[in-house]
Amino acid sequence: MKLPRLKQSRRLSYSDYLYNFFATITGLTIFNWEFIKQAFIPPYEISEIKKHMDELGVKTFGIVSITGLIIGLVLAMQSQPVLQRFGATDFLPGMVALSVVRELGPVITALIFAGRVSSGIGAELGSMRVTEQIDAMEVSAVNPFKFLVVTRVIATTMILPVLSIYVIIIAIFGGYIAVIITENMNIQYYIDSVLRSVEFGDFIPGVAKTFVFGYIVGLVGCYKGFTAEGGTEGVGRASTTSVVLSSLLILIFDMILVKISLWIWPTLG
Amino acid sequence: MDMANSRVVEIQNLSKRFDDLIVLDNISLEVNRAENLVVFGRSGQGKSVLLKCIIGLMQPDSGKIFINGQNIFDLSINELNRLRKNIGFLFQGSALYDSMSVRENLAFPLKRHFPEMKSNEITKKVISTLELVGLEDAIDKMPSELSGGMKKRIALARSIITDPELMLYDEPTTGLDPITTKEISELIITLQKKLNMTSIAVTHDLICAEIIADRAIFLKDAKIAYEGKINELINSDDPFLKNFFSNEIIKV
Repeated sequence: MKLPRLKQSRRLSYSDYLYNFFATITGLTIFNWEFIKQAFIPPYEISEIKKHMDELGVKTFGIVSITGLIIGLVLAMQSQPVLQRFGATDFLPGMVALSVVRELGPVITALIFAGRVSSGIGAELGSMRVTEQIDAMEVSAVNPFKFLVVTRVIATTMILPVLSIYVIIIAIFGGYIAVIITENMNIQYYIDSVLRSVEFGDFIPGVAKTFVFGYIVGLVGCYKGFTAEGGTEGVGRASTTSVVLSSLLILIFDMILVKISLWIWPTLG
Repeated sequence: MDMANSRVVEIQNLSKRFDDLIVLDNISLEVNRAENLVVFGRSGQGKSVLLKCIIGLMQPDSGKIFINGQNIFDLSINELNRLRKNIGFLFQGSALYDSMSVRENLAFPLKRHFPEMKSNEITKKVISTLELVGLEDAIDKMPSELSGGMKKRIALARSIITDPELMLYDEPTTGLDPITTKEISELIITLQKKLNMTSIAVTHDLICAEIIADRAIFLKDAKIAYEGKINELINSDDPFLKNFFSNEIIKV
C-alpha cells in the first residue's frame, strides 16, 4: 500500500491546498481498498475488536446519553408552541419521534462520535507511528494494518448503530419530559402515538446509515493516524484533521444516503 | 566452518533515496557470526535507514540484503516474518507499546512468533528475560511509569525475548546520561556474549561504541567512508575523523 504524501510547510500556496485535497481523497480511497482486502483474510483478531468495542462504548456512553436527552427535550420544546398555534399538539410525539429516528438521532450521534472517537484514534495511531511502535509491531510478525486499523474500523462500524438506537430511545424519552412539563399527557398515549407514527421504513434507513457513519469515523481516524509524520506536531494535526474530515464526510454521505433511501422507499415523505 | 555459514549479513550495492536526497549510495558490507559491527555517522546520514532495510521495514531502491544466505527481498511476507523471529531490533525511542504493561509488551512478540506457546510458558519466559536485564520488579508497570534507562532495558528485553541470533540496535544509548549509557552498553555486550548473538549497532556515542564494537564503519555522504577497528578510527590522522571524534570526546 503506497499512500500519497501531503505537502507540509508553514506556508502552503493555493495549489498546495488543492494538491492536498486530492491527495487525501486518493489516500482515503487506497486505504479503504486495503481495508476491504485485509478484513477478510485471517487472523481476525477478534479479541482486539471486542476490546475496542468495549472501550468505545464506555468512552461515549455518557456523552451520547446527555446529547440524546437534550435533543429530544429541545425538539419538543421548540415545536410545541408552533403546533399549539395550529391546534395540533397531538402530533407532537409523532413529530419528535420521526425527526429523531430519521435524521437527528443518527447524524448527531455520529458527529459526537466523530469528535470523541475519530480524534482519539488519530492521536493514538499518530503517536504510535511517530514513536516507531507501529514498526515494532511489524518486526514482531504482526501486520499493523490488520491489528490496528481493521480491528478499530470494525469496532466503530458495529458500535455506532447501537449507540444511535440508544440515543433515539433516550431522545424520545426526552421529548416526553418536555411534553409533560406543560401538558397533561399520559405516557401510554405518548408511546402509542410514537409507535403509530414511526414505521419500519423510517427506522431502517435511519439506522442503516449509521453503519456507514461508523465506518467513516474509524477509517478517517486510522488513515490520519497511520500517515502521521513530523513528531508531536504531526500527532496533533492527525487528531484535528480526522475530526474535521470525518464530520464533513458524515454530512456528505448523509445527503447521499437520504437520497438513496428515498429512492428505495419512495412511499415515504 | 564454510564462509556462507559464518556470514550472517551480507549487503550488496544498497541504494536508497528520499525525493532528491540520497541517503545510501551503493553500500556493500558484511557481518560475520558473533561479530559486533558499529555504524558511525552524523545525524541524518542514513544509519537508521540502513537498519530498517535489513529488517525489511523499508524497501531500498536497489541492492540486495542476504541474511544467512537468503535475499530478504525475495521472501514472501510469511517467510520474512519467520526470518524476523531470528532478528531483534532495539528502536531508538524504545518503542514500547504505551497501552500495554511491561508483561504484555514482552509477551507480544512471543505470542506472535510462537503461537503454540502456552500462557504459563510465556510468563516464565517473560520473567526470565526480565531477570537478564535486572528489572523483574517492573513486570506490572506501564511504560509511562518507567525512566528512560528502564525503558531502554525493557525494550532490550523485548527485543531479545525470541532468542534472536542477530541484533540490530538503533542508537541504543541516545538520550541517556553517561553512567546509564555505560551500564546499558555493558548490558548489551554481556547479553550478546551470553546468547551468542551477532549485532549491528548504529550510534554516534563513543562510550557505547568503545564497549561493544569489534569493528566499525563510518557513513559519510551516503557512502562508507572509513572502515576498521574502533581504535584505528579514533587515532586516525584523517582530519574529518579527528574532528568528529574530538567533539565526541569533549562531550564525554
